[in-house]
Amino acid sequence: MKVPSSLTPLSFLAVTLLVWELAVRFLNVPAYLLPSPTAIIATVDSELFLHLAVTSGEALAGFFIASACAFLAALAFVRSPLLERGVFPLAIAIKTTPLVAIAPLLVLWMGTGWWSKITAAGLICFFPVLVNTIKGLKAADSKYFKLFSSFGASQRQAFRKLRIPFCLPYFFSALKISSSLAIVGAIVGEFVGATHGLGYVIMVSSSHLDTDILFSAIFAAAALGILLFQFIGWLEQRVIFWQTAETE
Amino acid sequence: MSAMSKPLSGAECEASSPQSAGPRQAAITASDLCIGYGDLSVIDNVSFRIDQREFVSLLGPSGCGKSTLLRAIAGLLTPTSGSLQLQNSANEVTDSKPRVGLMFQKPLLLPWRTTLENVLLPVEIELGGNRVSSIDEARAREVLSLVQLSSFEDAYPKQLSGGMQQRVALARALMSDPDLLLLDEPFGALDELTREMLNEELLEIWRSADTRLKTIVMVTHSIPEAVALSDRVFVFAARPAKLAEVVPVELEHPRDLESQAFAKSVSYVRRLIRSFS
Ligand SMILES: Nc1ncnc2c1ncn2[C@@H]1O[C@H](COP(=O)(O)OP(=O)(O)O)[C@@H](O)[C@H]1O
Ligand SMILES: [Mg+2]
Repeated sequence: MKVPSSLTPLSFLAVTLLVWELAVRFLNVPAYLLPSPTAIIATVDSELFLHLAVTSGEALAGFFIASACAFLAALAFVRSPLLERGVFPLAIAIKTTPLVAIAPLLVLWMGTGWWSKITAAGLICFFPVLVNTIKGLKAADSKYFKLFSSFGASQRQAFRKLRIPFCLPYFFSALKISSSLAIVGAIVGEFVGATHGLGYVIMVSSSHLDTDILFSAIFAAAALGILLFQFIGWLEQRVIFWQTAETE
Repeated sequence: MSAMSKPLSGAECEASSPQSAGPRQAAITASDLCIGYGDLSVIDNVSFRIDQREFVSLLGPSGCGKSTLLRAIAGLLTPTSGSLQLQNSANEVTDSKPRVGLMFQKPLLLPWRTTLENVLLPVEIELGGNRVSSIDEARAREVLSLVQLSSFEDAYPKQLSGGMQQRVALARALMSDPDLLLLDEPFGALDELTREMLNEELLEIWRSADTRLKTIVMVTHSIPEAVALSDRVFVFAARPAKLAEVVPVELEHPRDLESQAFAKSVSYVRRLIRSFS
């Protein structure tokens, strides 16, 4: 008998929720420590979806802007080794500085609105895409370039027909990594100062011991991450149809 | 120092190349050729002449500079000194450069392209942004049938065996209707049986009148392969490579690989190579 691959994790999830529900009910766990799944689901309302939408918007905007910038920066770095040597250490410095340490500064500069969160999400996405894209742009075997020059191909043609397609698997695996990071970035930004978003909900509900709301926000963030990751995986399979193996 | 040609002592067959009637035109003329990478001298003062429609094999120890010489012939490397002249079949030295087809040990196919699209790649590059014409597609199908891959034109490289991938690479090299085919250990990564089969197909393509293929220069590590295929075997000594010996193989095509004469030729070349290393 064939079982759809998504069914296995879903049934495990169902069992976990059931055990959780029963344990909370029969062991009398206080609701501020661990609310039951039904209590958590009861808190889901349109307001939660509004916060989810805000965080999604910030994370996605940061993710797209940073990925595009990182891709362009990688192109520039591969063209100019001098630029790479000069600017790459700066990129490493940004990467090694914890985002939580920078986030208050971002809010100070850009206020509690969208941009501080988009920047936070972007900062955390940028580096993985940059590094992987640079690696990908150098991935084509040098013999391919010899072959191309024997065909009389220009630099541009070699770039378009060789470097870019060979880079795509690396680019997509970076997108998968940074899609999850983008949500982290947006939420950290919201922790520091916000009036909306899942990070804001998490901060407020935890200080009020509204643990059921806290949980619903956590689950919303997790669902967003999974959805985004799956979407990029789906896109990857369509774009890089020739490659089935993972290139992490 | 130019190499001396001397007839192969082991072979009693008479010269039998179908093109041997009449004076031959040169395809490649090298005189006092030196090639290097920076301070490293790789090809040292080599002179030779390869005729139109001739099949020449380059044999020599690994790292002696065979690939380097091939790359220089392909125009991908500029010689340090000396001259290297190519002539096309119309014997014009001047304007129109001869068309060169190149093939390596790895098939170097683009994995996101089908067989047909891979074969069309050189045409696409030549056309720049323009679309490939139906004439080019017909030509691509023609070369695919030469390498017996007609039924695989829509397959992707990963769906093909190693031997089939090399056939696609050969078809791609033939696509431009080359005057000169340069092969760098083309079947070196394949198993013995596939290799022999592809060698036979290569010979057939070279000998058939309707492929206008003129000249083949092939690097190989296999002495029997060199003797089975070529009109002449160029034997190189270790780096800086000197052309140590030129061995004409005067066995009639199709060559019987089981024959005494063939075995004698192989052992002659083998002894020769041993004597240089
Ligand atoms: N691009 C290169 N730059 C510098 N040295 C090279 C390069 N390619 C080959 N060489 C050197 O030139 C020599 C000859 O190489 P090659 O022509 O590949 O030998 P072969 O094909 O006979 O094995 C080797 O010592 C190799 O290290
Ligand atoms: Mg070599």
